[in-house]
Amino acid sequence: MTRERFIEEVRRQQEPLRRFLLALCGGNDALADDIAQDALVRAYVASGSFLGLSKFSTWLFRIAYNCYIDHCRKARPEQVSVEEAVILPADDATDAGFRYQQLYQALDRLPEKEKAAIALFYFEDRSIKEISAILDMPQGTVKYQLSMGRNHLKQHIQL
Amino acid sequence: MKDLEAFLRENKPQVKEDPTFLLETQHRMEQVEGIKAEVDRQHRRGRVALVLALVVGLAIGVLATALAFLYPVDVESVGEGLWQSIRLFLQNYRQYLLLPVALLAILLGVVLSRKPVLQ
Repeated sequence: MTRERFIEEVRRQQEPLRRFLLALCGGNDALADDIAQDALVRAYVASGSFLGLSKFSTWLFRIAYNCYIDHCRKARPEQVSVEEAVILPADDATDAGFRYQQLYQALDRLPEKEKAAIALFYFEDRSIKEISAILDMPQGTVKYQLSMGRNHLKQHIQL
Repeated sequence: MKDLEAFLRENKPQVKEDPTFLLETQHRMEQVEGIKAEVDRQHRRGRVALVLALVVGLAIGVLATALAFLYPVDVESVGEGLWQSIRLFLQNYRQYLLLPVALLAILLGVVLSRKPVLQ
C-alpha cells in the first residue's frame, strides 16, 4: 500500500476510529487521539503486510483495539476515573451533556470486551462478523458480550 | 431494551473537529519513514561489510594456502616436543604472523557492523 493511499484511507476512517476510541476511553478525547495516533503509526509500519483479505477499516480498528488494550495494561495502576476524565464545557451542561456523561460513566464500568462490542455495534454500526474480526473472538461470543453489555448498561443508565 | 438501544444509537460519542489530527499523523509517518530509511542504510552497510569480509577472508586463505605449499615445513623436525614445534613454526612462518591479526581485525569489523544502531 502506497503512502498516498494509506493517507486517503486514514482520512476516511479517522472519524469513526476516533469515535470508537473515545467511547473506549470514557470520553477522554486527548487520550483517545493519542491512542489513535499510535494505532495509525503501527498500521503504517505494518501496511506492507495488509493483504486486503479483510476491509481496511476492520484491519485498522483491530490494530486500534490492540493499542487500547496495550494502553490499559500499561496504565492500569494509575487509571483515571471517568469522573475525572470527562470534562464537559460549561455551555454543554445541558441534557445532552448529562446524557454523554451518563453514557461514558456507564461504559467505563463495563469490561473492555463488552465496551468494545457495544461501541462497535451501536456507535459504528458494525456487523457481528466485523466485530468478531476486530475483537478476534467467535461470533457467538460477540453476541454474548453484546447481551451482557446491554444488561450491565441498563443498570447504570437511567432512561 | 429497545429504549437502551435507541439511547445508544442516538447518543454516539461526538468527535471534536481537529484539523491538526491528520497533520500530526502525517508528521509521525514521516518520522517512521526516516527510521525505516536509517534501518535500511544500516542493513546495506552490514551486507557490504559482510561481503567485503568474505572476499578478504577468501583472498587471505588462498594466499596462506599458497604460501604453505610454496614453503613447506620441515615435517620430520616437528615431532621433537611442543616448544621445539612452536619455535620451528615461528621460525618458518614469522613473516606471516600478520595473517591472524588481519583475520581478527576483519572479524571485529564484521561484529561491529552488525551492532544494532536503533534501539
